[in-house]
Amino acid sequence: MKVVPSRSSEWVKPVTPQKPASAIIEIKGVSQVFQTSARKDHVALSDISLTIDEGAFVSILGPSGCGKSTLLYVVGGFVSPTSGSAKIKGRTITGPGPDRGPVFQEFALFPWKTVLGNVMYGPRQQGVRATEAEAQSRALIEMVGLKGYENFYPKELSGGMKQRVALARTLAYHPEVLLMDEPFGALDAHTRTRLQNDLLNIWERDRKTVLFVTHSVDEAVFLSDKVVMMSTSPGRIRQVIDIDLPRPRRRNELLLDPRYQKYVVDIERMFDEVEETGSPS
Amino acid sequence: MTSLAALGKRAAPVFACIGLLAAWQVASLALKNDSFPTAIEAIRAIPDILGDKESLINILASLRRMAIGFGVAVLISIPLGLLMGRSRAVAAFFNPLLMVIYPVPKAALMPIIMLWLGVGDITKTLVIFLGVSLPVIYHSFEGAKAVEEKMLWSGAAMGLSPAQRLVRIVLPAALPEILTGCRTGLVLALITMITSEMIARQSGAGNILFNALDMGQYDTVFAMIIIVGAMGICLDAIFERVRARLVRWSEPQFDMPLSFS
Ligand SMILES: Nc1ncnc2c1ncn2[C@@H]1O[C@H](COP(=O)(O)OP(=O)(O)OP(=O)(O)O)[C@@H](O)[C@H]1O
Ligand SMILES: [Mg+2]
Repeated sequence: MKVVPSRSSEWVKPVTPQKPASAIIEIKGVSQVFQTSARKDHVALSDISLTIDEGAFVSILGPSGCGKSTLLYVVGGFVSPTSGSAKIKGRTITGPGPDRGPVFQEFALFPWKTVLGNVMYGPRQQGVRATEAEAQSRALIEMVGLKGYENFYPKELSGGMKQRVALARTLAYHPEVLLMDEPFGALDAHTRTRLQNDLLNIWERDRKTVLFVTHSVDEAVFLSDKVVMMSTSPGRIRQVIDIDLPRPRRRNELLLDPRYQKYVVDIERMFDEVEETGSPS
Repeated sequence: MTSLAALGKRAAPVFACIGLLAAWQVASLALKNDSFPTAIEAIRAIPDILGDKESLINILASLRRMAIGFGVAVLISIPLGLLMGRSRAVAAFFNPLLMVIYPVPKAALMPIIMLWLGVGDITKTLVIFLGVSLPVIYHSFEGAKAVEEKMLWSGAAMGLSPAQRLVRIVLPAALPEILTGCRTGLVLALITMITSEMIARQSGAGNILFNALDMGQYDTVFAMIIIVGAMGICLDAIFERVRARLVRWSEPQFDMPLSFS
């Protein structure tokens, strides 16, 4: 099945002048095999190839356990693939670096630091002066809707609040590439919508490259230039769908847009298929 | 209601002490044994000990050895434990070594150490050091092993080097566990302090105690036991204060009432 969106005349050019798109991340033939405790090989990723253009917003969709997080870790340099390679700006990724900012599914906040301390950590490490780092961090904390919680410790926050701190902490050190692992998964619908809008605003302003893992088809279509559909065991890319919707995107307009609706319906159907059949034999 | 509960919490240890002393008093009156003085007799002997300059110097010398042994042990054991927890190679090297030393009562090594280093301060301090090291290493090791990997990844992504991650992520993350080890270490320091002075009689709180025992001054013996016990309680209380302050971020927020409280 293939989704070919009709390019309508209403197509609006992006805010920034169109540069010739250049690849920032190139994943070539990446496979990841884990040794399970039963001493059996478990193929989490099988021969993944994917190119991500600079400034693109790419979502990864797929059933639980299909290797979305693992793929993100490979790009982050946190795990090295069993075979294949990942490159950033032509250089092979050998480890983590401040050019790629992860937002983990498990938040991974520093529990001994307050909200402010967590968000300031990256900029301080990068040598930003304390006063400046604090001002920036406070602004970010306000943006994610946690004004007034600056001096709370992570254990004093709800799951959704932790997730927002994790997002602010990563945004604070301005990575070129954001690697976000279901960053809105623990949020209520309302906050989720708000943060999606905020993320889009930031993205439209800075044009960071975003690799965004999600379970939600809605969210993927709303945010992305490209949706990568994965299937499970072994984790493979089933389809890459270009989302040809005008930007800047406004949620209320988009929800009424038949093209948006078609994307959502088509991709949801594809998701169902992938989940039923698993990987093609 | 809450203030009453708070008062109860404060008063509880006092009641426990009074109860213990009362039980002692009753038991010793009942047994009528020369070598088992009553609690009141023992308490009466305390001012004599604390008023005697010689004894005070002895007790202070003990505390000094204990402080040095404990301090040096903590300074060496924490980094070692953390390294073992984060590096399989370091753990593989030190683990068998520690496994051999752990179950050996450190005082049992004293005669040998005395042969090498004499009966002075160095020997006793070394034994205290050995007694404190193992629980601190063990807890630091466990604490470092349990640090959530994603936390280290987050640090790495921010540009922290492996050494920086050990000091600035593993150390604070493992701190609650490390301090549990230090608390055990502190109690062990007191125990090894006394036993070391029992073996190498020369000076110290343990020396006063065992000399009195030799001379059959049982009220002094029991007074010394009370003094050592009180020292333990005080040290532990001070340590607990410091600990609670350092790891406030990790403490559970509410008392989880059990059915009986
Ligand atoms: N350290 C590991 N050791 C062994 N197997 C692993 C390890 N990490 C992941 N796996 C396996 O790899 C597969 C992919 O895991 P991954 O976490 O990437 O999935 P996911 O797509 O992110 O799932 P979810 O949507 O539930 O987060 C799973 O089947 C999992 O069991
Ligand atoms: Mg995942």
